Formats: sequence, C-alpha cells, structure tokens
Amino acid sequence: MTTKQDTPVETMPYTEPSGLEKLHGRLTDLGLTKLGVYSALAVFLVWTLFPVYWLVTATLKTRETLLSFPPQWIPVDAQFGNFARLFAERPEFVTFITNSVIITVVTTIVATTIGAMAAYAFVTFDYPYNLDFHLPFYILSTRFMPPIVTIIPLFVIFRGFGLVNTLRGLILVYTMFNIPFAVWMMKGFFEEVPESLIESAMIDGHTHLGAFFKIVLPLVKPGLIASAIFTTIITWNELLFAVILAQSSEAITVPVGLASFVTKFSVQWINMSVAATIALAPVLVFAFMARQQLVRGFSMGAVGK
Amino acid sequence: MATDTDSEAVSPDVTQFSTDTSSREDVLLWVDDHLRWLMTLPAVLILFSLTFYPLLRALQFSTLSYLPTGTVYVGIENYVGLLSDGAFINSLVVTAKFVGIAVGVEFVLGFAMALVLNKKIKIRGLWQTLILIPMILSPTVIGLIWRLMYAPNGLLDFIAAPLTGGANVGWISETSVALYSVILTDIWQWTPFVVLVLFAGLQSVPDDVSEAAIMDGASRRQRFMHITMPYLKSLIVLILIIRLVDALRVFAKVFILTRGGPSDATNVISMEMYRTAFRFNNFGEASAMAVSLLVLVLILAMSFVNIANVEFGS
Repeated sequence: MTTKQDTPVETMPYTEPSGLEKLHGRLTDLGLTKLGVYSALAVFLVWTLFPVYWLVTATLKTRETLLSFPPQWIPVDAQFGNFARLFAERPEFVTFITNSVIITVVTTIVATTIGAMAAYAFVTFDYPYNLDFHLPFYILSTRFMPPIVTIIPLFVIFRGFGLVNTLRGLILVYTMFNIPFAVWMMKGFFEEVPESLIESAMIDGHTHLGAFFKIVLPLVKPGLIASAIFTTIITWNELLFAVILAQSSEAITVPVGLASFVTKFSVQWINMSVAATIALAPVLVFAFMARQQLVRGFSMGAVGK
Repeated sequence: MATDTDSEAVSPDVTQFSTDTSSREDVLLWVDDHLRWLMTLPAVLILFSLTFYPLLRALQFSTLSYLPTGTVYVGIENYVGLLSDGAFINSLVVTAKFVGIAVGVEFVLGFAMALVLNKKIKIRGLWQTLILIPMILSPTVIGLIWRLMYAPNGLLDFIAAPLTGGANVGWISETSVALYSVILTDIWQWTPFVVLVLFAGLQSVPDDVSEAAIMDGASRRQRFMHITMPYLKSLIVLILIIRLVDALRVFAKVFILTRGGPSDATNVISMEMYRTAFRFNNFGEASAMAVSLLVLVLILAMSFVNIANVEFGS
C-alpha cells in the first residue's frame, strides 16, 4: 500500500515553489486562509440552509407579507393559526399523513428485515455458481434502473391484481425500492460479526435461524437502525410511484397531497408552506439521528463507515 | 465467509438426545438445512417480480399499439415512431442539458468546496450535519421551496432587482430561463453530496505520504496530481455514476415546478413518458421510450466505467 503511493513522489524532480505558493505560505502565516475557509463555509451554509429557513418562516406569515416587496426577512406578527387553518380547509390532509405513516412504518420493517436476512445469507453461506457474489450485484443493479422504466408495466400488473389505489400496493413497491439499500448497508455490518460467535451459539443449542435473530441481529443494531432510517426517509419522500399508483384519496400520500397545492394556474402559498413544513419535520429528526450512516447510504457504502 | 455445511447446521443435542422428535423440531431442522435459500428468497423474489418481470413486460408493451378497441402487435413501429417524434427528441435534448449542466456544476463546485474545507478547522461535525439537509428532503418539498423562491415578486425577483431593474424574471414561466431554474434546484440539493463524499475521501489520504512528498520538494500541484487524485479516483467515478443515473430519472422537481412547461422547455424524459402513458394513454409508445431510456442508462454507465478504467489505469 505505502510503496505504491511512495513511488511517484521519489521520482519527482525538485521544483522551486511558485509565486502563488509563496503567497499562500505568507497568507497562512497571517491566518488569512483560515479566514478564507471560514468565509467560504459561511457562504456555502447560508446558500444551503436559507431556502429551508424561507419555507419554514413562510408558515408564520400572511399571504401579503409572504410575497411582500421588499421581503420580510424575519416574520413579525407570527400567524400560528396557519397550522390549524390547513387542517380546517384541507381536512383530507390528515388522511394523507395517516396513509404515509402506515406505508412508511410497514415498508421500513419489511424491507429492513428482508434486506438484513438476504445480506446475512450472502455473507455467511456458500452458494453454487458463485451466486453469493452475483446475486448481491443483481440486487444492487436494480437500484440504477430508472423507476419510470418499470412503472407502466407495474401499473398494468397492479391493476390486474386490484392493487392500484391501495396501501398494500405502495408498500409492495416501496419494499422493492428499498431492499437494495438494506442489503448493501447490512452486508458491511454482517462482515464484521465473527463466525465463531454463531458456531458457539449453535453448539449451545440454538438453531441457525434462532442464532441469527437472538445473537447476530442485536450485534448489528447500529446497521439496522441506519438502514431503517434510510428506508423511512426514502419512503416518506417518494412521489413518482405514489402519483401513478394512488390517485384516489384512500391511498394518497403526503407528497401527492403536497403536489395538489400547486396547479398550473394557482398556488395556495400559506397552506402549501405549512404542509411542506409538516412533511419535512420528521425527516429532519430522523436525519439528525443517523447523520453518519446517511453519508454511507447515499454513497452506496463507499464512505462513512 | 463461513462454510455452513448441513452437518453443522444440525445441532447434536437435537438429533442425538431428543427421543421424541416432534414435528416442530423437524420443521426447525428443515429450515436450518435450507436457510441459505430461505433467507435470500424474499429479497430475490420481490426484486424479480417487481423489477425484472415488469422489465420484460415493458419490452412486450413496446411492441403493441394501444387502440380504444384493444391492443395490436406492431413490432418495432413504436421505436421507429420515436425517431420522428419531436416531443420525444426535445425531451432527450432537455434531459441531456439538465444532466450535463447539473452534474457538471455539482461536481466542480462540490470538489472545490471539499478542497477548501480540507483544512484543520473546527465545527466539522456541525457543517457536515447541516449540509445533509437538502439531500434528505423530498424532491417534492424542494420543488415547493423553490416554487416559493421563484414566485413572481418573490425573494429571487427581489435579489435580482438591481440587475433587472425591478421587472420579474419569470424564473419558471419564461421559456429561456425555466430549465436553468430547475437545474439550480438540483445543484442546490446535490452539491453537498459531492462535498461530503470527496471530503471523506480527502480525509482518508494519509498525512505521512503527503508530508514525505513535501520533504521531497513536491509542489502543491504535484502532490495533488500524484497523491490526492489516485486516492480519490474510485470515489470520483462512483459520485459521477450515482449523480448521472439519478439526474437522468429526475421527475418530482419538474412535476412540482413546471410540469414540463413552458412550451416543453423543461420537459425531461420522465415527464414526457408520464404524459404519453398517463395523459394520452399511449402505453406502447411510452414503453418504447422506457426501454430506450434503460438502454441509454446502461450504455452510459458501462462506458463511463470503461473510460474511467482506461483514463486512470486501475
């Protein structure tokens, strides 16, 4: 490892530091680059966070102050009644939230369990035809397929089984959607569990399945929590499948409900802001709980272990 | 990787010492014997029936013409039709612009930011947590946030007023501007991803190698090209593939911000497919688009991996 990296350095000819490097050196002595780094970070953070701040504070404004010119940077005369008004004017939003909660909770439990089982099997057992190597890659490859590609046949198949406009249908689709994440997240965690542990548990009289649930799963709890939170966020946020597979109110989810505030011709600004803020609140909470693991999940396990 | 042969799975106390092997134990033994298949079956079955099988059906649908009276087999006619379908060609161009500009800017901006932040500064945990926020938000919510920012007489019109003299830009209603406004929301959401992954990569470059290089008189540029870049190579390829594939499937942001308008200026391929299938009920042509998109994604992903291997010589 080290020799490989050392080689190019040793063969490198000595070069005089350029003017730019000398300048950089002087700036460092004065502590100015540190100031530069912090200013760049500050600009980046404001750029990243301000739009969210703008939405959340919009929930406390009136229609007039929301789009006033010049803008009202900090809401004065906060309108907390906006939250109650959303549910008074759009009572169906309660149903959307209930639907989303049911779908998200069931999907998270099912997808994490199925994903964890498969990941454990791939790590532990030998398969014919190198399947323990090929199957995980087949599973991962489905993550790269654009979902829109399968959505038309899925719609037709689901219509045939009476799964359109049902919570069951969306749970099924989202489980499929999240299994690749769960498998690849969990694989890394199971690889760190020593084999001897399972063997000794089985000598103690556990079946292998029993040892998996009682001994192995508690050991990989951080991984389970991470992939559960990841699944929760993805499922709670999803729009495309929900728009197509749930068009009547018994299965409409929060993102589809949010989309209904915005039509081509008009926007219900305040209701929209309140609803969007309600939709993003749980995601923020979950994300802070699993911030380290999220980077790992987003990069398909490449960083953040 | 443990080799759990069947003899190991049968624990001795069950087979040898229990005289009345009840049916419950038989079941448990059978389960343990077939565990490697039972544990993977649900995942494989669900993925097969909900991705692989629909894919085959999409292939089949793409050869059908959907008429009010039923379906007719038309062979490759749908694909031939796509070649002269102005809306489809336009959606390919729009998608290419979206993907090219968005991923390009995200990568350059993110890489620059990661390099800037790769110093010994405090509040590392704090900024890493804060910039996660756009990544975890629903694209629907992001669409709404920016719809608010882009509103006529809204915040961005106010900020741009010194340049425009107070006239509304029409961020998402002006044909020449709308696509760039949609792209901006994607850049906003995903630049932090590039920052976080490349920052983690930069942090994993061992200090001693870099220090040895400084002792040997390697310049800043040489150290970057010969030490830092080889370390980041695989991460860069991964970032670009993930972003490329994700940007190609953009739907929710466009759906919320513009629905593909004005006059198809932001009509990305997913939007065009959605309209063809669910507005005009033309499942055949939409499936042909779907299959074409999949082939495109596969070619892009594979050629990208190949180029990356040749360029950097893995």
